[in-house]
Amino acid sequence: MRKGNLLTFLILLGLVALLVLVPQLIGVRVVERIATALAISLVLVVGLQTFTGNSGILSFAHIGFMGIGAYVSAVLTIPVQMRGMALPDLYGVVKTLEVSPYLGMLIGGLAAALVAAVVSYPLMRLSDAPAVITSFALLVVLYTILNHWSAVTNGPRTLFGLPNATGLPLAGGVAAIVIMVALVFKESRIGMLLRASRDDERAAAALGASIPVLRWRAFILSALIAGVGGALWGHFVTSFSPKAFYLKETFVILGMLVIGGMNTVTGAVVGTFAVTLAFEGLRAFETSLNASGMFSEQVVGITEIVLALAMIGMMFLRPGGMFASTEIGPLLARRFTRTKS
Amino acid sequence: MQTLIQFTIDVLSLGGAYALMALGLVIVYGILKLVNFAYGELIMVTGYGLFLVNGSGLPWIVMAAIAVCIAIATGIATDYVAFRPVRSKSVTAVLITSFAFSTILQNAALLFISPRPRNVPLPDFFSQTVEFAGVIVPARNLITIVASILLLVVFAWAMKKTVLGIAMRAAATQFRMARMLGVPANLIISSAFAISGFFAGVVALLWIGRIGSVTPGIGMEPLLVAFIATVIGGMRSLQGAVLGGFLLAFVNTGLNYTLPQQLLEFRDAFTFTLVILILLWRPDGLIRGPATGQRT
Amino acid sequence: MLEVNGLQVNYGAIRAVRDVSLRVAEGELVTLLGANGAGKSSTLLAIAGALRSGGTIRVDGADVTSWTPERLVRKGIAMVPETRDVFPDLTVAENLLLGAYTRRRDSAGVASDTERMYALFPRLKERVAQAAGTLSGGEQQMLVIARALMSRPRLLLLDEPSLGLAPTIVDQIFDMIADLKRQRLTILLVEQNASKALAVADRAYVLRLGQVAVEGRAADIAAASDLEPLYLGG
Repeated sequence: MRKGNLLTFLILLGLVALLVLVPQLIGVRVVERIATALAISLVLVVGLQTFTGNSGILSFAHIGFMGIGAYVSAVLTIPVQMRGMALPDLYGVVKTLEVSPYLGMLIGGLAAALVAAVVSYPLMRLSDAPAVITSFALLVVLYTILNHWSAVTNGPRTLFGLPNATGLPLAGGVAAIVIMVALVFKESRIGMLLRASRDDERAAAALGASIPVLRWRAFILSALIAGVGGALWGHFVTSFSPKAFYLKETFVILGMLVIGGMNTVTGAVVGTFAVTLAFEGLRAFETSLNASGMFSEQVVGITEIVLALAMIGMMFLRPGGMFASTEIGPLLARRFTRTKS
Repeated sequence: MQTLIQFTIDVLSLGGAYALMALGLVIVYGILKLVNFAYGELIMVTGYGLFLVNGSGLPWIVMAAIAVCIAIATGIATDYVAFRPVRSKSVTAVLITSFAFSTILQNAALLFISPRPRNVPLPDFFSQTVEFAGVIVPARNLITIVASILLLVVFAWAMKKTVLGIAMRAAATQFRMARMLGVPANLIISSAFAISGFFAGVVALLWIGRIGSVTPGIGMEPLLVAFIATVIGGMRSLQGAVLGGFLLAFVNTGLNYTLPQQLLEFRDAFTFTLVILILLWRPDGLIRGPATGQRT
Repeated sequence: MLEVNGLQVNYGAIRAVRDVSLRVAEGELVTLLGANGAGKSSTLLAIAGALRSGGTIRVDGADVTSWTPERLVRKGIAMVPETRDVFPDLTVAENLLLGAYTRRRDSAGVASDTERMYALFPRLKERVAQAAGTLSGGEQQMLVIARALMSRPRLLLLDEPSLGLAPTIVDQIFDMIADLKRQRLTILLVEQNASKALAVADRAYVLRLGQVAVEGRAADIAAASDLEPLYLGG
């Protein structure tokens, strides 16, 4: 890792450490749950950044791979006697195989990466609009499968019984690892070539790089992280339905990424923090509105509208997001040397 | 033989609607190189337009016209709210604002109307059936076929013969040059959004005619259909959109006829596999369209 | 009729035009010479309103610096870009029709002008219904010039009309430019082919690194052999 990025990593690591430590000092359960959810969001958003940030192609399919990770881990870790009730039609050996949640998370990530490797290769030849559209279609297809493959996912109904294995330290630890992976990947040969291709496809091709292959590798890495993130989340909430892996979630993580700045890992991290904190405030507001009984029906959707407006505003004022091109480390280093001279 | 007639009618009616959906998306893409994620919401606002004028006592056709006008107005508004401010920025920025605008419209419907389905007025003939060559078919399928073919013909004529249509085709390849000949950029862009809204409005009438009610998420399926149809047909070509629409309808209907019940739920996955295969063969879609393309 | 003062054009951090001032009087043919990258095309595009620029551009005394391209066309300025931007999937006839976009209500005038263009360029007439993208380079050049003339401009901006064309076609194009000049059309001509351009022009400006290096009567500049390296790119 270059020196500037070592500083970046240390700063981001510090943020994650604060995220893990502060709630434990406060000792309020709600705060700890919010912090855990935030750490999981970090995994997902930074994972998305590894593909989108380097290749410059928005991917809408990310949450679908999160779903794969969550369901694969669920199927392998729900205690066997409960599994018989929840998923009576499960196939052969999986019916009786029970692994630890940690192994489940790993397998969940690998499964997501495998699916990504198989389905995404032809899509990586596309650029611009067709690439985005097909990734969106891929999300819909993954959702359709989760929603209808009753034997494995319990269909559209909620799947219960995942062991509660994700605590704040684990989620924070995984987030820190993912941030490091993203920074290293960005500086790796693949990452550099990809970023070159983002600016000029022909120039990167002239360097002898096969852009579809580079994108494909980044996409698999990103799906792997999404799968692990999904499994982490599954073992955090312990019950979920396919609805959790669809447009609403996609919108939220995209919002975090573009508000922070999709070209930098710092942007992904800061965006996740900013949006999560704003969301919690708004959600509290929505809840109090509903509790006040001012409206006959439930008030829903305010948080999404505010996030959408924030995204449009950010695109208008600073299309690159808060950290558009430079990571926090080099940014600080540059400022420091400038004041010194 | 009867199955064949039935199949043909199904393909043509579905394909007509799909082709209109795809055209509405591609007319904006062709000129601005932007994918309008809020396109599905144009269908949604048409539905809620119908719902809001329900009970006004107006003849259905007038209510339908009002609803379509709402879609056109929303289409033009999309340009002003979500695109014009960021048009000079990156492609990604425009994609994100359109996705965000789509979310705003959907959540506004959730917030101000209801998450639950709302019934819309439909004329009686939408639910009637007709016997055609010994086959009983829903009247709305025949209406869809007639309406879509009529619209496609009128649209093709307008793009070929009117000055505005020719200017729009010109702007799709060389926007700056068109401006240097005096074609106003804003007129072209607003027209594209208006046409997009018009197609979405008409499609909404035909689409909601199948379901009879409207929900905030109703635009999702048409949006996806338009996406897939344009990608397989070729994003840069209007003919490609129409071809893609009919092809997708053919595939979907074919799967409907042949897949066993328990696999039918996964139809979208099969369709998507086919899309991947087509893209492996032709990454630019079936009809390639002009190679050049620039944004304003 | 055209007056440019202190024109500047930037592409991001690169300054293509630093400081260009020039005048074109009614009925005059002025040529803009210079090596590649001297800023000739950018100057023309800025006058046509297609590039944002600093400095001032006046047409008939009115400040048009911030005008959009479409508004400038209505003022009587027509641009023939070097990139020879025909609309490739439109037919020759449709291309010409769009050239007359600002006069679209005058259908009789447009029809008679179209005939005039076909008389001027018989090659185009043979290919009326053909897609413009299938024409040869010379035919495309004729088409873009004809298309620009369809707006009945008062000032024609011509960007390297001879670029990449066979010598016989170049001669034809310059004959036609001389013809237009005889009809008292005001023309600003950017050319690499300096000797041809100087032969038809009244006056000339030589640009170097985004600035006017020399200006004067075309005949004088053609006679001063020591200037040749400047516009021949030596």
